[in-house]
Amino acid sequence: MANRTYEVMYIVDPDTDDEKIGKLNDAVGKLVTKQGGSVVRMDDIGRKRMAYQIQKKQEGYYVLFEIEGSGQEIAELERRMRVNDMIIRYITVRVDEERKAAEKRKAKREARASKRTKFRSAPAEAPAEA
Amino acid sequence: MAEKDMDIMGDRGLDVGEDVIGDRPRRYQRRRPRQVVPEYVDWKDIDYLRQFVPERGKIMPRRISGISAKDQRRIAQAIKRARSMALLPFVAD
Repeated sequence: MANRTYEVMYIVDPDTDDEKIGKLNDAVGKLVTKQGGSVVRMDDIGRKRMAYQIQKKQEGYYVLFEIEGSGQEIAELERRMRVNDMIIRYITVRVDEERKAAEKRKAKREARASKRTKFRSAPAEAPAEA
Repeated sequence: MAEKDMDIMGDRGLDVGEDVIGDRPRRYQRRRPRQVVPEYVDWKDIDYLRQFVPERGKIMPRRISGISAKDQRRIAQAIKRARSMALLPFVAD
């Protein structure tokens, strides 16, 4: 199956000690690789004030993963996150398609911009394209 | 370039005026000048999304934000994602 890229973010209960959170993050990484995916990026954002209370808590420990894979590991990961009571909230966003669309949009914008500079017949102002 | 910018500003500048409809004056806020929305709207970029979320926490309507329908959908989607992760409020009061 075509490779997909996902962003998985979860909020860990801020009352758990850092050691446990570290272990949890390691476990997530291991799970993903075991299921055939790969971790592209892992960002330990840390404790942050949340915009609203979740489970009577004002703070949360944020962790972000960027995962590449078929989607199977995401299914497993979500199942685990749902039952883990350290994790109070999670979200998975598939980003590869949106990124591709963004590339396309960028190319289109650049093409239009270069056309415009050509039309203006003021090459002195146009940025030199190496 | 400068000339063109001026033109856009003049057409749909951000100003609060009074529009009289019937006998009751209605306050309205005109569109912001058209702005460039980045190619990729990141739902984690709170500082960027904040500009489309006034104090109350609601998503700014297109009529006021002045961005294209397509961009508005992308922004709205990103705001909703950010909301579900408590990065942005659903309501703030």
